[in-house]
Amino acid sequence: MKKERSKKHRVLQLLRVVVQAVFLGLFLNLLFGARFSGEDYIGDVEVFFHFDPLLAVVSFLASRRVLAFFGLAAVTVVVTVLLGRVVCGWVCPLGTVHQFFSWLFKKTKMARPKKPAAGGLWVKYAILVFVLVASLFALDLAGIFDPLSFLTRTLTTAVIPAFAQAASAAIGGLYTLRLETFGDKLTQAVEALTLNRTFQQGFFIGLIFLGALVLNLWRERFWCRYVCPAGALLGLLSRWNLFKVKVDEAKCIECNLCSIHCQTQASPFPNPEWKGSECVYCETCAAVCPTKAVTFPLRWKREKPPAVDFSRRRILAATALAAASVPFFRISKARKRADPKLIRPPGSLPEPEFLAKCVKCGECMKACPTNGLQPALSEAGPEGLWTPVLVPKVGYCEYYCSLCSQVCPTGAIKELAIPEKTVVKIGTAWINKNRCLPYFLGRPCIVCEEHCPTSPKAIKFVMVDTKLPDGTVATQKAPVIDLDLCIGCGICENKCPVVDDPAIYVTSVGESRSKENQLLLQVGGPERWGTL
Amino acid sequence: MNRRTFLRNAAAGSIALGARPRLFAAAPPPDLAFVQGESPAALAKAAVETLGGMGRFVAKGDVVMIKPNIGWDRTPELAACTNPEVVKALVELAFAAGAKSVTVMDNTTNQAQRCYIRSGIQSAAKAAGAEVPFVNPRRVKKMAVKGAWLKEWDVIQDFIEADKVINVPIVKHHSLCRATMGMKNWLGAIGDPRNQLHQRLDEAMVDLAAFFKPALTVLDAYRILVRNGPQGGRPSDTKLTKTVVAGVDATAVDAMGATFLEIPPAELPYLKFAVDRGLGRIDLEKMAIEKRTV
Repeated sequence: MKKERSKKHRVLQLLRVVVQAVFLGLFLNLLFGARFSGEDYIGDVEVFFHFDPLLAVVSFLASRRVLAFFGLAAVTVVVTVLLGRVVCGWVCPLGTVHQFFSWLFKKTKMARPKKPAAGGLWVKYAILVFVLVASLFALDLAGIFDPLSFLTRTLTTAVIPAFAQAASAAIGGLYTLRLETFGDKLTQAVEALTLNRTFQQGFFIGLIFLGALVLNLWRERFWCRYVCPAGALLGLLSRWNLFKVKVDEAKCIECNLCSIHCQTQASPFPNPEWKGSECVYCETCAAVCPTKAVTFPLRWKREKPPAVDFSRRRILAATALAAASVPFFRISKARKRADPKLIRPPGSLPEPEFLAKCVKCGECMKACPTNGLQPALSEAGPEGLWTPVLVPKVGYCEYYCSLCSQVCPTGAIKELAIPEKTVVKIGTAWINKNRCLPYFLGRPCIVCEEHCPTSPKAIKFVMVDTKLPDGTVATQKAPVIDLDLCIGCGICENKCPVVDDPAIYVTSVGESRSKENQLLLQVGGPERWGTL
Repeated sequence: MNRRTFLRNAAAGSIALGARPRLFAAAPPPDLAFVQGESPAALAKAAVETLGGMGRFVAKGDVVMIKPNIGWDRTPELAACTNPEVVKALVELAFAAGAKSVTVMDNTTNQAQRCYIRSGIQSAAKAAGAEVPFVNPRRVKKMAVKGAWLKEWDVIQDFIEADKVINVPIVKHHSLCRATMGMKNWLGAIGDPRNQLHQRLDEAMVDLAAFFKPALTVLDAYRILVRNGPQGGRPSDTKLTKTVVAGVDATAVDAMGATFLEIPPAELPYLKFAVDRGLGRIDLEKMAIEKRTV
């Protein structure tokens, strides 16, 4: 038989790569667009998330609210029902990243698939069931595994900071080579992108990403095959797809190449074994077939697909495991009492509702112009891992900025107009008189007062007598805080010249969003702060 | 011009000068220009013209650095940053005088992009052809400031490498030094930890003013900040005084500026330090001040 590969499917394969590149570019463009652009309002840079049915369904279940903007996920659902998991194969930016590395490992002969892989596909369905069941208990774990959250969080807190550091080092090299004009130009260009480069946990979040990439050495698109709950959800929806793989037995030479190179273990050969729920329509099988035997003809007839080995018993086990796990996520001192360091971005919902909606994507951290928003480690308990907290030592909350609230894809941070934002209290500043220069050294300073952005200022000064070590008395202007005016933005802490442990610092108490985390009657009352 | 005409002109000039000294171009320019009117740009241009025109300060081919106050993320009506039209007018004048390049720069306090954009200064200065770069950390170097108190500090090199530096501060209230104008503005031309300078702010300001030696100081007093300084926050914190003051003596300009906040110059310790160091004058009553309205 004449050996000839299908030109049509090779073109389709190429087209798929182009489409993937376009969507990845779009995704990155939107991600890099999550920054101050000169305008107060930056538009729907988070729109990619709204096409994600997993986030839609989990946010709906966990928050018990229908979020209108997730209506866009219906597009993905319809596309998947009609065409199968094309979104995984052609659109998903994380899928593209994994596919790229799978391809790279294969091209460089680091990975050499010899025979089709078998088994293990049920794991991602188990993760999906786990996430869905947890969301019934208002525990939102979708963000840990959701591909868009995973990629956005990783890029924001690890990859972009690393890129920024590398760019900075490269520019430094230009200066060493005396290419200063060029260096100046690049510095300005990079500066204009506002790349946040300081993230607690950035290293570890980066390591997890690296691990996910390295697993592609073992199996192509490992994440998509075994982990991704969004892919699993689309797999469940793809049973009725119109295009089903067909292997022409007359042409097939049973070389098994199609199944060996199948990126998602959908096993096109033998034909009856093909798993429509796993196929991402990457066109690889049809393109590698040496005899043009593999095609994707339109077939209306519903065929009973061979099920992934996700038995009823496993569904029950995953459900039971999830239900049993929920209480463990709630063993946390954060639920007993507000954590002083848990300073949420302005517009954040009250903590339980916030946790039910936040998908830990880090989009707010990308948008924050001062790098102040950081992924939480333990401040909010286990379920609050990687949720945003303001760390004033790293960056403060910019007074006229509400970008974090604008880019939040789930409304965990309620979208605020600038005038609304400026009166939201996210915490309260305190002075450590033992470290404050005027108080304990009798020296002039009041840098905090200078920077306080409210008008009238929440930090005022009083004349204070300080006994010095030599017994003399110095009289200086020293800061005091007007609790009614302080919004907890943290610029005082950020700019305090006592570098290591600032003499003025913000804690979460008094935050507008909480009824419990208060200190005084009438302070933070609705007459000034409004209710969220 | 030959010897005879020169002598004739000189004689005629000296007679005329003795009679009506302020009407002739040959007259020495005043110590301070004090111009009032409606348009910030026109005020700035008239103030420089009163001092003898930009040609007196900027030579053909000069690399010019203009230092406004862009310290805060505040829009112009809040008077926390220099009026963008004043900055733009100065850029235009510098180019008209033959400047090779004009750069506008400040080390901001709030996030740089926000300050540059929302102050209106970036777009105004760019429209006039200036470069408006952000501070490049690689161009910040420790230098001998050689002040009476401040011996060395990190300095942004762009300000040192320029042929001519023009300081364009705005009059604002400040809780620590009472009035922030030209001398305080130099804290935006240096690196961190500049916040620590607050511990001896008056001396630091004077040392920096002596170090940077601007060719010209143009003080924006069009809309000034009278309380809650140095960033204000409400239009009611500002006051329209519709004035631009300019002078070569930076101390004298600040002395005049203090009067907008109703502070006698002699009450400001940093102005006293400046006088003691022979940096300039604050005896406004004895200065030649040319007041104009445009």
